[in-house]
Amino acid sequence: MTRPPRVQRVAEHLIARACRRLPGEAGDERYREWAAELPAILSDPDIGSGVRRSARALSYAAGISRCARRLGRPGPPASLPARPGFPVRRVAAGVAIYLGLVGLVVGLAVAFHLHGPWPAILIVPVAAGFVAFCLVDLARADQVRYLPKWGWAIVCLVQIPLGGIVYLALGKIPRANLEPPAQP
Amino acid sequence: MKLTGPLERVLRVFLADPSARRYGYDLMKAARLPSGTLYPMLARLHDQGLVTSEWEPSPDDAGGRPPRKYYQLTAEGARAARLELARAAGAVPRAAHGTARPAPGSTQ
Repeated sequence: MTRPPRVQRVAEHLIARACRRLPGEAGDERYREWAAELPAILSDPDIGSGVRRSARALSYAAGISRCARRLGRPGPPASLPARPGFPVRRVAAGVAIYLGLVGLVVGLAVAFHLHGPWPAILIVPVAAGFVAFCLVDLARADQVRYLPKWGWAIVCLVQIPLGGIVYLALGKIPRANLEPPAQP
Repeated sequence: MKLTGPLERVLRVFLADPSARRYGYDLMKAARLPSGTLYPMLARLHDQGLVTSEWEPSPDDAGGRPPRKYYQLTAEGARAARLELARAAGAVPRAAHGTARPAPGSTQ
């Protein structure tokens, strides 16, 4: 028997890690089910190149990890529509934080006569950290409002830091707003 | 059952041949859904008794392929799926492929 390709082993590893979130027996069975799909993906004749098959297998494994997180925790299951309602307070908080940030940056620059590279050295790591935080939050969210996830990702990246603030205020669904699971 | 866009797509795929047994990747491709959306949905349908799952006994075309888990609509599942899709079509006119997103709060 030949050794499975490296991508398959990486994906299997990711799936195994995800399945550890599930209780014993269920985790083992899910691992067998999910890992069994990998050969089908990696030999899918409908996906042109090997690179794209590998990417598909990895994105499959990432989805499995999200899925295991959902299955592993009691609470709202997948695909719940958000309760409607415009989040006035979060938007107000977002505007206040943004104005505060701008004020802080301008204030610091004026107070300490910052010139040359210093403002950038101070701001860039904070901005990068903030964008990373927003993107991670977005990736882990089960569901977002108003725009699809990729739309929010673009907003977060294009308008730093306003896009991220708008996402957190508008797009992110607070835990309390998720409806309890519907009873069949 | 709460009909969301992805759920509608999965139900349509199942109903295209209600007696067919489908495995996960097959469903992902046919319904164009990522694994992170499909499997929680299958788990929910399974818990509600609308879908059954079984392991394939032994892969016959296998070149050492591990056995797959297959999903199939139950009779109750097929009935509920037809009902929900008909209800959705009656309530809101949709594109034939059902890619439209449901309005927030559209329930039951």
